[in-house]
Order: sequence, then C-alpha cells, then structure tokens
Amino acid sequence: MTFKIQHDQSWSTDFIKRLDEDGPWANWELYKLALEAEESLIIPDFLGLQAPKHIPHVQILPHQLEVTRKVIEDMNGKGILADEVGLGKTIEAGLIMKEYMIRGLAKKILILVPASLVLQWTHELNTKFLIPAVPQKKAYVWEQYDVVVSSIDTAKRSPHREIVLDQDYDLIIIDEAHKLKNKKTKNYDFVQHLKKKYCLLLTATPIQNRIQEVFNLVSLLKPGHLGNEEYFDEAYRSGRYDVQNEEKLKQLINKVMVRTRREDTGLKWPKRIVKTVPITLSPTERKLYESITQARSNTAYEQHHAFSTITLQREVCSSREAVFLTLKAMAEKEGISESARETAISLMYEIENVDRNSKAEKALEIIQSIDGKVIIFTEYRATQLYLQWYLQQHGIKSVPFRGGFKRNKKDWMTQLFKNHAKVLIATEAGGEGINLQFCQHIINYDLPWNPMRIEQRIGRIHRIGQEHDVHIYNFATENTIEEHILRLLYEKINLFENVIGDLDEILSRVGMKNIEQHIRDIFYESDTEGEIRVKMDNLTSLLTYPNDEGDAYASEGHS
Amino acid sequence: MLQKDIHDFLDRYFTANECEMLEQGNDLLHVQLTIELDKLLMNRPFYWHYQELTGAEPNPMKLKLQTKQSEEDSDGEFVHFGSPRLHQIFQSTRQLGSYIRLYENVQQNENAYVPLVPWLGLNIKVSYQCDRKKDFLHSIGLNLINGMMVSEFQGLLESKPLTPKIPDYCYTMSTLIRPGSGIKRIEQYIEQVIQDDDPQWSIDARKRWQEDEELLDHFYQDIEELPESYHVEKQALKELYEPKVVIQIINGGMFYLSNHTLMNLN
Repeated sequence: MTFKIQHDQSWSTDFIKRLDEDGPWANWELYKLALEAEESLIIPDFLGLQAPKHIPHVQILPHQLEVTRKVIEDMNGKGILADEVGLGKTIEAGLIMKEYMIRGLAKKILILVPASLVLQWTHELNTKFLIPAVPQKKAYVWEQYDVVVSSIDTAKRSPHREIVLDQDYDLIIIDEAHKLKNKKTKNYDFVQHLKKKYCLLLTATPIQNRIQEVFNLVSLLKPGHLGNEEYFDEAYRSGRYDVQNEEKLKQLINKVMVRTRREDTGLKWPKRIVKTVPITLSPTERKLYESITQARSNTAYEQHHAFSTITLQREVCSSREAVFLTLKAMAEKEGISESARETAISLMYEIENVDRNSKAEKALEIIQSIDGKVIIFTEYRATQLYLQWYLQQHGIKSVPFRGGFKRNKKDWMTQLFKNHAKVLIATEAGGEGINLQFCQHIINYDLPWNPMRIEQRIGRIHRIGQEHDVHIYNFATENTIEEHILRLLYEKINLFENVIGDLDEILSRVGMKNIEQHIRDIFYESDTEGEIRVKMDNLTSLLTYPNDEGDAYASEGHS
Repeated sequence: MLQKDIHDFLDRYFTANECEMLEQGNDLLHVQLTIELDKLLMNRPFYWHYQELTGAEPNPMKLKLQTKQSEEDSDGEFVHFGSPRLHQIFQSTRQLGSYIRLYENVQQNENAYVPLVPWLGLNIKVSYQCDRKKDFLHSIGLNLINGMMVSEFQGLLESKPLTPKIPDYCYTMSTLIRPGSGIKRIEQYIEQVIQDDDPQWSIDARKRWQEDEELLDHFYQDIEELPESYHVEKQALKELYEPKVVIQIINGGMFYLSNHTLMNLN
C-alpha cells in the first residue's frame, strides 16, 4: 500500500460509554448543525486556494494569488519570496500560512522577524489574516501558543534556543532572510537545526548575483537542491563558469524562488516627481554654521567624538532648536575638556542671534501652495516640535509622528492626519503597515545619510493603492554639508526615481554595508572642501551603476 | 457558506441552544446566552469559577452578531466565513452535537405495537493527507440486526420525523450486532472505499518525498559522520510528504426506525 490509514478512536470510546449510561444525547438540530459546519469546512480538492474566502476584507492582488499558488503547488511549501518592496510579500506569506492552517496541514508555526517588526507582524496576522499570533515575550510562550512571532536574536539565545529547537514546527517563516546568507553565523546554524515541514524565506534583496549566498539560502530551504558544496563550487564557481551553466543554475533557483517585479504586476504605478529645493541660509544662520565649522579646526582631534561637528553642521541646516539641544547636552556632559565646554557655551550664545528659519519659511510656502496633504520628514525631534509650533502660528494644523509611537498611537495619528490635519511631521518612516496613500506630497526637510531610509519614506505613499503621481521635495541648504549629500546620493544615482531593489542591488554589488559610516568617515577625515568633494565623487562613481553590462537589472528610470 | 447561510446557521444554533432572542433582523442577531453557551463561547473561566465559589447570581452575557458589515460604527460583531467567532461556534457544535439517540415518530394506534429497528448512523470525515490535503464526508447507516449498510444515511434520516423519546405503542428490537462491532464494520467498509480509490495522489507524494530525500543525501554525501541537521531534515521530509489517510467520526448515534424504512430501501 502506498499510504497508511489512521483511525481516531476517541469518538467510539465515548459513544459506548454513553450507551451504557443512557446518555446524555444531543438534540437533533445541533447534531445536524455539527455536520453542516463540518461540510462547510471540507477541503474539496488537493489544489486551489481556500484562504481568500476566509478573509474577504483583504484585497488580494492577482500576482499575490499567483505567488501563493505557486509556492504551495509547485514548490511544496518551501520557497524564497523575493518580490520587490511594496508588492506585498507579507500578504503572500500570510496567505500561504492561512491556507495551510485552513487545510489543517500547519498548526505549530514560528515567524522570525527583525525585533522592530515583531509587534507589527503580530498585529497584521491578527487583523488581516485572523490568525491568533502572539509575540514571544515569556519563555513559556514557545510551548503554549501555536503561532508565535519572535526576533531571531531572542530565539537563538539560551534558554529559548533549547526550547525552540525542541518544538516540531509545521511552518517557519523568516523575514529579512538575506541576513542568513552566511553559513558560518550562529543565526544560520540555528535555523538549520529547526524542525520544519514548510518554510518561507522572505527577502527584498535580490540575491541572484551572489552565488555563494544563493547557495547558502537555498541549502537552508532545501538542502541539496543546488548540489552539495563541493559540487556547487566545481560547477558554478570554478573557471568553467559559462552561459549554459548559468542558465541551468537560474532554472534551479527559479524552482525555489519567486520574484515579482513591479512591471510584472500589471498594476499601474504612479510617477515620482522629484524636485530639489535649494535653500539659502539667512546671514545669521550662515554665521552660526561658519562658527561651528571653525570650532572644528580649533578642537583637538581626540575631542571629535564628544564634539561632533558634523552632527552640529547638519543640525544648523535643520533648526536652531536642534543645535541648541545638542550643544546643551555637550556643555553639561561630564569629563569633556574645558575648552570644548567653552566652545559649546559660546556657540549657544550665538544661537540667540538667529532670528529666522529659512527652511521652515520655504516649507510653509510650499504647503500653502498645495491643496492636498503634506508629509514632512525631519531627522530631529527638536525640529519636529518647532515646525509644529511654527505651522500653527500660520494657522496650519499638523500632527507629529515618531517611530517609537505605540501601534495604536500610530493608527490614531494616521487617522488624525487623514481627517483633521493638513500636515504630518515625522521623524521616521514609521515602518511597514503605516499606509498614507491618501497623501501625495513629501517634503524631505532633512536628508538622511542612509539612502534606504529615503526609500522607506517614499514607500509610505508610493505603494499599491496610490492613485496619483507622487511629489517629492528635497530641501538642500546651499554651501553646506547637506549639499554634498544631496549631490552624491540623490542626484548622481537617481535615488528618488529608482526603486529600492535597484539601490539594494547597487549597495550589495559594491559590498558597501554601511554607506552611512562611509560618508561620515569622508567628512571626518577630510581637511578641505575640495578634499571632501573629490572623495565624494569617488564614492559616487563607485555607486553609479555601470550601464554597459547589459544586465537586466540595470537601473531603469521608474515611471 | 454565503452570508445568508451563516445567518440561518446562527439563528438555528441559538434557537437549538434555547437562547432568548433579544433582537433579530435580516443581518442581526442579538441573543441572551445561556449559562452553558457563555461557558463555551465567552472564554471567562475565572468568572464562572468565582460564581460557583461564591454562589452569586449567575449572569451570562449577551451576544450581538451581525452578518452584514455595517457602514457606520455598530456594537455588533461582524461574522463572516473566516471569522474566529464562527469557527468557535462551529467547534462548539462538535461538542454539543456529537452523540445522539432518536426514534422514528411512527403514528400508531393502540391495536398493534410497532417494532423499531436499531440502526447505527455515523458521519465520517476522511482526509487524504501528504504535503497537500483533500477531505471526503461519508454518512453511513448500519442495520444492527441484519448487517445491512446504506450510504447517504443522513439524508434518509432527515426525511423522517424523529423524536428523542420512544413514541407510544412502539418498542425497540434488540441488536444482534453490538454497536462497538458496528463501528468496526463501518470503518472497514470505509477502508475498502479508500482502497478502491485511485492512489495516484499518494504515489505522487512519495515521488516528491523521494526526490527531496535524494537531494538531501547528495548534499551530505561526502561527509563521514552525518550531522544532526541531516537527521532533522530527513525526519521533516517524512512528516511533510508521507501519505496517510485519517478517518475521523464527526458524529453519530443510534436511530430506531420502523420496518417501513427498511422496506423502502429494498
């Protein structure tokens, strides 16, 4: 026989007992209802999806259904979901999970995500997918709950590790799975030892180009699919790497990975209209900026970390409130040299001379010229508070938004913004799940140094559901540190027009893990404006994607 | 199940459980739960524990369910096919409607006593399971005197007037086949049905299993002592693909039917 048969005996035992004891017996109507309930839950076919009719409130797009079907029917529930950002990988993972739960094929489920996303995943599984997921908070949660969301860092640590490795999981989902590409890490080892039937690895980073990483990730999912290490080395990494081979490898990878690209979705994506808005500092602001730049050359090198000139320079470009707070903290800090303290205090006095905020004035002008709603992103809490006050002085209602807000506060602020205010002033993109498609204008009041954060900002409004073109205004203060950043990151590599996949591609190609640190170093280690410019230009040419490779992933303009 | 079917289901459910209907509309059911249903549905064991300890007046909750999503805010809970509430209620029917004993309500005068024949009726769910799954429902009746077996038994029962108390001027015949052996006979019959079915699904599953296992063996082929991760994965493949059939009785019971019923079947 090609299968075994199992009987569930529990009903019979109880039935015989009731015959002996003459009851109790159910009423006929409830007996019929029990059967009807079961009839409605019957899985009529091996193939096809049951999940969508269980979650009618979720709008599922055709490509998401197709990915779900493919992973379940063609990949036997083991797949790498590598859709581009904003296409709904979470929805796909949720659908697959729901389908297996409805079919009774998955009960015990573990979802490993970055710590900052634990609550969000939990929330989304509960509200969208009606799956009773719980965040891991106490050690007993692993065993007592069926669907647990946790960070991998918690799960892999003792005493959790031992408990988790002891569980028989039906399904494991790992978000940001590209972090598992190195098989020598503890994380990799941990995941390799998990007991799992089905497994989904989610990543937005295109991994095709890094052959070793692909091998490691696929081997986690389906060991042997790409051969063993020795064979793989021989076939794909030796000198005999040829086109035929590459085609074969691609085919193998496509058996375990789905990657939907924006243009494959058939959805119409609105345009991104990007405008750089130059800001000229007022004479008093300029004077303060120069004084801070001066202070840098006066201070001994070892004071750099206490006396972070670059931070101050960036802050002047934002608001005098932001500089003030940093200087104040500096002056009050224990153990810094007397001269540094004096510099800080004298700069604090100089702040008093600043009588206006050129950027805020420009922001106001733009906001007043727009009918719709506007989101302002700033890097600084102090600027956020100031802007709220400033806009209020001009009769404009705004709501604040911070990454650290609790989930329901975020939802509340989003509602307030939607229904009662014209402007949302945010210090952080606020993470996935905050959807602001009803807004079409973003002012990047200050520019972050990490370009991924820009994409996250834009991604809040340029996503599925946005029906209009999106306008992005980038403020850049002339002749300051900000202008360098803008030139490099945002103009040369067309950051604003390109989507995150391209950027990710660029960064991983040049092996630059921490571009922010890189830029910081350039500014610290350069003595003159000229030197900064040369180094930044070098960085730019490194980042600028060479078009002559004819690669399918060449950064095309996005429209 | 359409929203209307869900509404009807809930309506019948609360009526069958003798809940007082406080308010009722096309898409609205507002009911006063009984103590039993409160304990089953409202998930507040501490309250009931406290109530029993103190002997306080029991205060079961009210439940307001809507089967249409309302535009404006409403205090009713929206119930649809995927909602946890409906599934909780589905589950509770398994608890409340699992075992039954009924008699055919034969209209009879006092001149002749009518014998009622004992039948064992079972509703059975059969699941074909590997990395995929498919279910079947069977409703089988077994005559516990002559061993005759009929399918679609539930449909037959629903066409009869049935009552939980033995009707006047009727008597039940005693069984020749004991209910325990009856269950076994029905299960054997179901097994036969399964054996006669096309096994292609299980052959395919074994093929998928074998393919993955070969990949796994290849992955570790040059390693002398196989690491734990090999065994973990191998076991996981077994659990994922190994085809099996699970037979589960949904509900069932004793049904005493008139000879008339028997004759119609012949």
